[in-house]
Amino acid sequence: MFEIGRLCMKLAGRDAGKKCVVVDVLDDNYVLIDGQTRRKKCNLKHLEPLNIVLKLDKNASNKVVIDALKEENIDCLEKKEKEKKAVTTRPKKQKVVKNKGPKTKKADKKSKAKYSKTAKSTTVDKPATDAKKPEVKKVEAKKPEVEKVEVKKPEVEKIEAKKPEVEKVEAKK
Amino acid sequence: MVSPKHRSGSKRKVFVKTPGGKTTTHYRKRKPSSAKCGSCGAVLKGVPRELPSKMKNLPKTAKRPQRPFGGVLCTKCMRSKFKTVARAK
Ligand SMILES: [Zn+2]
Repeated sequence: MFEIGRLCMKLAGRDAGKKCVVVDVLDDNYVLIDGQTRRKKCNLKHLEPLNIVLKLDKNASNKVVIDALKEENIDCLEKKEKEKKAVTTRPKKQKVVKNKGPKTKKADKKSKAKYSKTAKSTTVDKPATDAKKPEVKKVEAKKPEVEKVEVKKPEVEKIEAKKPEVEKVEAKK
Repeated sequence: MVSPKHRSGSKRKVFVKTPGGKTTTHYRKRKPSSAKCGSCGAVLKGVPRELPSKMKNLPKTAKRPQRPFGGVLCTKCMRSKFKTVARAK
């Protein structure tokens, strides 16, 4: 009953009530269907045969099936071939490194090697590397510490030793 | 003693365990009856039984199955309906 080319109606699932054609017989229980439904494996229990048999080859392609169904006045949604979008890259923002400024010792030590190389040129010619982003964040995160240091200036001698560093950094500006 | 307004059966009881270990009773609105099949009256699966205020906030896909007549007919009735359509032709 379910030979290749048999027109069926699907009974179960979200494709229920739609018409399809048997494209391949896989098993005693399963066939491959195509047409108004998606092209998929289907249990025979989910199909109700109609009395039309189309002339189709085994494993006929989706286009062939749709054309054959059109002759029977059964409309199908044709698959739209995905147009490959032309890759439009956004113009990269040129990064201006603002936070050359207040650095603490820790931030200095960690980022000295990379930071000193990259930060000298304020307008970055090369595309910003991923490694660079976290560095900038670190510096921002440690801002409050610097403020604390400034508050404590008069009190402690040790922190006075740190002063010149801050000045150096300001000098870099 | 239960307060007089709660002595009727119009509200359902919900037992809630408090942090102190006691169980208290909360009185809530009764849930509406479950959804039934339009032709045979079977209880529909995949349709939640909640107050309208809660159903309102659910997404559409959570409120009924994703097939034709989903949330109206049960699968048996839906299949038999399409079978008769197919055999009539
Ligand atoms: Zn039913």
